[in-house]
Amino acid sequence: MKNIEELKLMREKVKQDLRLRSGQHRIKIVVGMGSCGIAAGAREVMNEFVTLIENSKRSDIIVTASGCFGFCAQEPMIHIYVEEQRPVTYRNVDIEAARLIFNEHVLNNRVVEQYLFSKGKK
Amino acid sequence: MNETTVIKNEELTAEEKYQELGNFIRENREKRGYLIPVLYKAQSLFGYLPKEVQKFIADEMNISVSEVFGVVTFYSYFKTQPVGRHTITVCMGTACYVRGAKKILEALEDKLGIKIGETTEDLRFTLGEQRCFGSCGMAPVIMIDQDVHGRLTASKLDAILEKYK
Amino acid sequence: MNNIRTQLLLCHGTSCMSNGAARVREALEEALKEANLEKEVEIIHTGCMGICELGPIMVVYPDGVFYQQLKPEDAREIVQEHILKGRVVQRLFYKKPKTEELVAMMEDIDFFKLQRKIARRNCGIIDVNTIDDYIGADGFMALAKVLTEMTPQQVIDEIKKSGLRGRGGAGFPTGLKWEFAAKASGQPKYILCNADEGDPGAFMDRSMLEGDSYSVLEAMMIGGYAIGANQGYIYVRAEYPLAIERLRIAINEMKKHNLLGKNILGTGFDFDVEIRLGAGAFVCGEETALMHSIEGKRGEPRPRPPFPANKGLFQSPTVLNNVETLANIPYIILYGAENFASVGTEKSKGTKVFALAGNINNTGLIEVPIGITLGEIVYNIGGGIPGNKKFKAVQIGGPSGGCIPAQHLNAVVDYESLKELGAIMGSGGLIVMDEDTCMVDIARYFMEFIQDESCGKCTPCREGTRVMLEILTRICEGKGKMEDLDTLEELSYRIQDTALCGLGQTAPNPILSTLRYFKHEYIEHIRDKKCRAGVCAELVYAPCTNSCPASVNVSAYLAYTKEGQYEKAMEAHLRTNPFPAVCGRVCPAFCETRCRRRDIDDAVNIRAVKRFMADQVDNYLACFPEKNRKNGKKVAIIGGGPSGLSNAYFLTMLGYETTVFEAQPKAGGMLTYAIPSYRLPKNIVDKEIQALIDYGVEIKTNTIVGEDITLDQLRKEGYQAFYISAGAWDSIMPEMDNLENPRIFSGLEFLSRFNRKEKLDVGKEVMVIGGGNSAIDAARTAKRLGANVTIVYRRTREEMPADEAEINEAEREGIAISLLQNIKSVKSENGYLEVELVNMKLGDYDASGRRRPVENKGSNFNKRVDSLILSIGQKPALSELFNNGEVNLNRDQTISTEKGITNIRDIFAGGDVALGPATVVEAIGDAQNAAEAIDFYLTGKKRVYPWRVKYPINVDFDPEADPVDYARSHDNLIPVVERGIHDEVEKTWSKEIACRESSRCLRCEYRED
Repeated sequence: MKNIEELKLMREKVKQDLRLRSGQHRIKIVVGMGSCGIAAGAREVMNEFVTLIENSKRSDIIVTASGCFGFCAQEPMIHIYVEEQRPVTYRNVDIEAARLIFNEHVLNNRVVEQYLFSKGKK
Repeated sequence: MNETTVIKNEELTAEEKYQELGNFIRENREKRGYLIPVLYKAQSLFGYLPKEVQKFIADEMNISVSEVFGVVTFYSYFKTQPVGRHTITVCMGTACYVRGAKKILEALEDKLGIKIGETTEDLRFTLGEQRCFGSCGMAPVIMIDQDVHGRLTASKLDAILEKYK
Repeated sequence: MNNIRTQLLLCHGTSCMSNGAARVREALEEALKEANLEKEVEIIHTGCMGICELGPIMVVYPDGVFYQQLKPEDAREIVQEHILKGRVVQRLFYKKPKTEELVAMMEDIDFFKLQRKIARRNCGIIDVNTIDDYIGADGFMALAKVLTEMTPQQVIDEIKKSGLRGRGGAGFPTGLKWEFAAKASGQPKYILCNADEGDPGAFMDRSMLEGDSYSVLEAMMIGGYAIGANQGYIYVRAEYPLAIERLRIAINEMKKHNLLGKNILGTGFDFDVEIRLGAGAFVCGEETALMHSIEGKRGEPRPRPPFPANKGLFQSPTVLNNVETLANIPYIILYGAENFASVGTEKSKGTKVFALAGNINNTGLIEVPIGITLGEIVYNIGGGIPGNKKFKAVQIGGPSGGCIPAQHLNAVVDYESLKELGAIMGSGGLIVMDEDTCMVDIARYFMEFIQDESCGKCTPCREGTRVMLEILTRICEGKGKMEDLDTLEELSYRIQDTALCGLGQTAPNPILSTLRYFKHEYIEHIRDKKCRAGVCAELVYAPCTNSCPASVNVSAYLAYTKEGQYEKAMEAHLRTNPFPAVCGRVCPAFCETRCRRRDIDDAVNIRAVKRFMADQVDNYLACFPEKNRKNGKKVAIIGGGPSGLSNAYFLTMLGYETTVFEAQPKAGGMLTYAIPSYRLPKNIVDKEIQALIDYGVEIKTNTIVGEDITLDQLRKEGYQAFYISAGAWDSIMPEMDNLENPRIFSGLEFLSRFNRKEKLDVGKEVMVIGGGNSAIDAARTAKRLGANVTIVYRRTREEMPADEAEINEAEREGIAISLLQNIKSVKSENGYLEVELVNMKLGDYDASGRRRPVENKGSNFNKRVDSLILSIGQKPALSELFNNGEVNLNRDQTISTEKGITNIRDIFAGGDVALGPATVVEAIGDAQNAAEAIDFYLTGKKRVYPWRVKYPINVDFDPEADPVDYARSHDNLIPVVERGIHDEVEKTWSKEIACRESSRCLRCEYRED
């Protein structure tokens, strides 16, 4: 490391790694990872979100897993929690849907009616 | 740092140990105030710092034996006697004390032929004391390494010591 | 592509490592592999998270779920359930002390929530094995900033402006220290880091180095730049192998990235750092001694001046900073002095790390804003004292510090106020002590430590502390003299003034502070040969007896009961306490709280055995001690409750002629008129009083001294001494209107009218205000009269003064308890009582160390009841007796006494009249003390009193045998539905159970010789 620019470069490279641990986020994507969810492809969806977040360079979005939501036929299902807004649940989310929901809902705050399951209480 | 604790390097002969120590001293000759790191190195090699080793260090570093001795005796980390394979700690807390911990200690000193802080010649046991290790219900107790032995009497000691070779 | 979605932060501090964190990590790795998750989930090896006794611990991010006490077997479940399926593993959650409530998220655990992390901002978050995480967390940006944007003087000014003070002890302003060294002439200069953490119980430096060495190293470089030093030494104690290893890794990583060495970050700044190991000498924490040690010499201190800033290491200008001090530096540079200074108090800025240890639920490391109160640390972060023990004091600052008692729980923690209270901030050891800690012994412990560690160079420290240790040891052995206390104080001041270094100068602090707050414990050791905590071996017969206010020989009567020798058991009991059947029913059993059997399983159920024993014997007369020959002296006892009757009994034993004057138609006081018969049947009370009459105690009932007869008249009748034991019969009533109402009672009035067999009509709804035993008695009595009963208490359940068992039974009987509420007013309306209540919350701490209830403004509400019982306190009713105020009273109207003696020569006092509402056994203890004082007054001689003698116990006992493994037997309570209005709730055990329970006694009184 010869100068400060190199230090800053390295910092940017590893900063992402610490993002998860900050305990701070504004938007949370929760993927239902019950057995039926996983069977329906929830893991792939989850990984897709990880990649999408990574690429977006946003540090205020996280994705986590939760148990079965109880509507096996509609899996994979996801919830999106945006701070100060009602949580939104989507159904039958595949990779394509994930991309769409991420771009529309997560990044631009527009609900994607096509996969909408329900809107919850604040 | 584990290497500095107890007797290791058993595969080395005494000669090789001296040689390594000598090299270490020469490598660091330039550094200021390096006696204490040298003593660490020596203790890690020999397990403790007998008179001969102290003299060797003094000669190699070109300082007086009394200076080396003064430093060695000042710091409790440096041992001029070897440490045993097993450490016996006699609890001197209240409950044990009233239940005859002193007698247990005397009996141990008698049996092992050493006093508190000393080590048997065969390097089997080192003897120590402590205030309380929270086993008052089983008073009097001693601890050998990590094992607590309670409800002791002098007559039970032989059988217990037998388990630690 | 980085596809990590979850990070598992596994603590790799010393404590978690020694509890098997490495094996947990391996198991996790395996489980992740098995689930094909190793590319999505990452395990981070962090430094210490602080809550060491729960280790190994792990936090799952991004969720923030906290798992504790992990075992390798748990790994698979965590991965399969939580990581894969998002179902958290509840059984591994943190449990709140006391309530046992489960907490999932790290941020919701009080221990973490209330902390403020500056120095430890990276600890427990960054990976300790690589430099990457530190850099990701803005590591070395502060260094980069000072090297490129700031002059050395600007760095110094920034630190000065931040108000940062040395965290190693004395609190010297860090910026100023740097400035002195910067201005000093001479080269080379050195910057040193003191990581020779030697205070017993302190481990924050170790944890800092283990969790984030980089911050400390970066700070040393910043300091080096500021003062003009290119060489740093970090002096670590050899007992910290893991910290040393992590430091080595950090230094190597930094060298690899050219962050140490020549031309750092291309700025032309050179810096190198070397680790030097301490070798087990406490004094090396002192700066001049530490420098001698780095120089390779004996670590002896030298007098200052010259100060190290001018002549330090190798006679060069040197700065020595403590680990924690340094850890704050990069933060100050990066985020600015104002940001840092916004935390803390006026003169003490920032945070302080403490190692919380001792008798506290959450032990571990905490970083708190300076200015937090002690109470918040002990109760909110520390989770309070385990086992419902009473808080006694905290010891802050190790061997150079002092203790702070319960009445100062509101004290803010900063340099100035701690010093005012006789402690110091010190390096940050904070040891919590409960009632089982003997303060004299603590002073001795620290003195022993200092004696061991005194380097011997100067006489005051070497010899002075030796003499002080001798004196303290003598006091602990019961051989102290009152003059010793003056000697200790004098020596302390002399050593403070004359010792060469900080170690010596502060060595007397533990003695001075215990003398300041706990002189009474010293006096008890010397004068009464008593160690109330039961710690000092020579003064403690057995922990149970030691903690009994009447010093009843518990081992003796348990041993004899076990053998079926009930008369022998009673003999042992009656020597000290003539009320075994009463105490066997209503004693709170102080003995059981100290029973050593608790170390194995649970305390012996001593009270229930006592009850059994007393119920086996009818002929007390055969078991009472032999009386001395009559000495012809007469003593009058005023008040025929347990204290008065006991005092008469003890004096009769000594040969006095005693007369008890009792205002009521029957003797017994509270036993007869207050405690309801479902707890204490009146035939039991009568039986024990009759035994005393048979023994020779004369009782005159229906006689009010001061009204029917005066003290002077009694003096004329030949009574030479008086024992006032008139109890506390005046109910304290809240200051409010409308209390004149037949349906509004005081607790005592209600109970005593019930006990006089008056017919009481309380209606259907009854409210009882108060949380003491009288309140519970009144509530349970009202319940027995057929009412719905609610107890209203202004604090929380933990603070209720009533016996735990009584509260539990009240609840089982269907009584509701409303906590944190208080009464505001009452008025009567159409045959109802309209009670106005207000919600309360706990505020700051009162003198007893309990939190004061304060009103929640505006939360008032009304409740409608038929009857109201106010049981909020009692005080003595002395008006008839002393209308001219001749006896000195305390502020709460109790008589001021010292071992039974009052300010008037022939008047002695004890029991509730002196103690305020207390217990039967305390009343009996007072009676013993007063009997001794009266005897001394009347004979001028001291003698050995029968109740102080411990006779050998003639029961076979094998000290080598293992203790019997029976569990504690429960009280024999009849089912709630079978409880009639006067039926005793508890039944006496069978012989089998009583004997078995007695055999659980460990015979702690037994001596080896």
